[in-house]
Amino acid sequence: MKGFKPSAPFLLLLPAIIVLAAVVVLPLVLSLYSSFTPFRLTRPESFFVFVGFRNYLSILSNADFWWAFGRTVLLLTIALNLEMLLGLGLAMLVEKATRGQRILRTLMMFPMMFSPILVGFQFKFMFNDNIGLVNNALQSLGITEDAIPWLIEGHLAFIAIAIAEIWSSTSIFAILILAGLLAMPKEPIEAARVDGCTPWQTFRYVTWPFLMPFAYIAMTIRSLDVARAYDIVKIMTDGGPAGRTELLWTLVGRTAYSDARMGLANAMAYFSILLSIAFTVYFYNKLAAARAQIGAEW
Amino acid sequence: MDENASARLARRALTVAHRVGLFLAMLVICLPGIWIVLSSLRPTVEIMAKPPVWIPQQLSFDAYVAMFSGIGKGGIPVLDYFRNSLIISITSTVIAVAIGMAGGYAFARYRFRGKSGMFLGLMLTRTVPGIALSLPLFFLYVRLGIIDTHIGMILAYVALNVPFTIWLIDGFFRQVPKDLAEAAQIDGCTRWQAFWQVEFPLARPGVASAAIFAFLTCWNEFALASQLTRSVSSKTLPVGLLDYTAEFTIDWRGMCALAVVMIIPALTLTYVVQKHLVGGLTSGAVKG
Repeated sequence: MKGFKPSAPFLLLLPAIIVLAAVVVLPLVLSLYSSFTPFRLTRPESFFVFVGFRNYLSILSNADFWWAFGRTVLLLTIALNLEMLLGLGLAMLVEKATRGQRILRTLMMFPMMFSPILVGFQFKFMFNDNIGLVNNALQSLGITEDAIPWLIEGHLAFIAIAIAEIWSSTSIFAILILAGLLAMPKEPIEAARVDGCTPWQTFRYVTWPFLMPFAYIAMTIRSLDVARAYDIVKIMTDGGPAGRTELLWTLVGRTAYSDARMGLANAMAYFSILLSIAFTVYFYNKLAAARAQIGAEW
Repeated sequence: MDENASARLARRALTVAHRVGLFLAMLVICLPGIWIVLSSLRPTVEIMAKPPVWIPQQLSFDAYVAMFSGIGKGGIPVLDYFRNSLIISITSTVIAVAIGMAGGYAFARYRFRGKSGMFLGLMLTRTVPGIALSLPLFFLYVRLGIIDTHIGMILAYVALNVPFTIWLIDGFFRQVPKDLAEAAQIDGCTRWQAFWQVEFPLARPGVASAAIFAFLTCWNEFALASQLTRSVSSKTLPVGLLDYTAEFTIDWRGMCALAVVMIIPALTLTYVVQKHLVGGLTSGAVKG
């Protein structure tokens, strides 16, 4: 024991801190700086020109950006809510199953194994207006005569993307909520029933509060990579038709690499980072609150 | 009697509704995957047929053979992409798990100032969208000369995986009672020995699932890889999949075959690890 001795947890965390500082924090500082320059990849010298908040101001008055921003928030709101509801429904269906629960659980995890890029590809294939499964089925069943231009018409493309997104992430919610259902003690439910609660009341006031932390864990995990929608959109429509499915992230990618306007793209990227952080912190706090509540009741 | 009968009927109707609902849900979950596998085995003519051919007339592995026989149709070097994916994913998983074990152990076993703030901070680094992170990384990597190399991708993926690995491993070490390691230390083990001989074996399934989760993240990642890789020397499979769409006509069958190749390792690994994974994610939920 000589001289300064750092504490054990600090030493143990040091490698993680170094890696994250080098690969995430430092680059982010750099990109924060470059968001104040008119930096273009084609003109390296522009990296050292300081323009203050000009990039941010031009974003604030950019209609395309606000459309993309609004669309992203809309997609996330729709997707997260539906994923939660469908996941809850799926978990309860599987929990009720008397036989083959193991295999059902495995099947339920199926979409989780698909990488977002694969999810996008598979739905691009299924929603293809000419050879896709969806249109083929609709036409064979005689529901429509003409092919529905799923990925070509703006609103339909947005719906198709939302479906792909929901398909891929519902299983995270279902699995975690199912874990909650299985871990739940049975006595409170029985007590509620004896006391004369209707099934809905039992669910609403007994089961749901217990499941809440599990749902929030799923939400937190999910909000850690909300940006995976980028992969799906990139392969399904690449922001098209005419920018009607452009999300914040695809817009950042396009501005940075196709238009080579790095400074502007970095300023946009900061909006997307703040959006992700807002989602994560929100659900993380909810999770902590729900945990505290459970701790008090059980 | 009448009441009994109607109650029985209602119950039966509920059972049937439950079965039907379960079947429909599973159909929606499984159908896309099955359709991809089926399409990879059918000739292109059948995929393109109008009116659609529902029952496959002829199945063959032609697409797979073409894909793996060097530079095949369309000139997409799948073998190289496959190798790149494996090298990058495995190396970065090993490093991330080593770092994550140290960090997770620190969170599970020690009390220190700013612990919860630190944890949240780690998680927040994970929330940075890949595409947003790719901008400065791209610039830095070009400067450092590690753009389009394995090293660059491995570095990025280690950073991507460390926070989540710490979260998972923290949960698993928490499940191992503290008393065990203390007992071992009283019996004369050093802390280091107690860790490797007592705590690590107990947490091993958890560490394994964290590793598999990290591997899958690397294996599936696209946003960073699409910008930080340029050529055959470091392109991974997800980026390779996009190569097929770059052609004038999309080779659906080839894409489906490549998709199947990508999903098989993920499928097997997730199946192996599923039980522990759920346990690890929820371990802190009830106990807090």
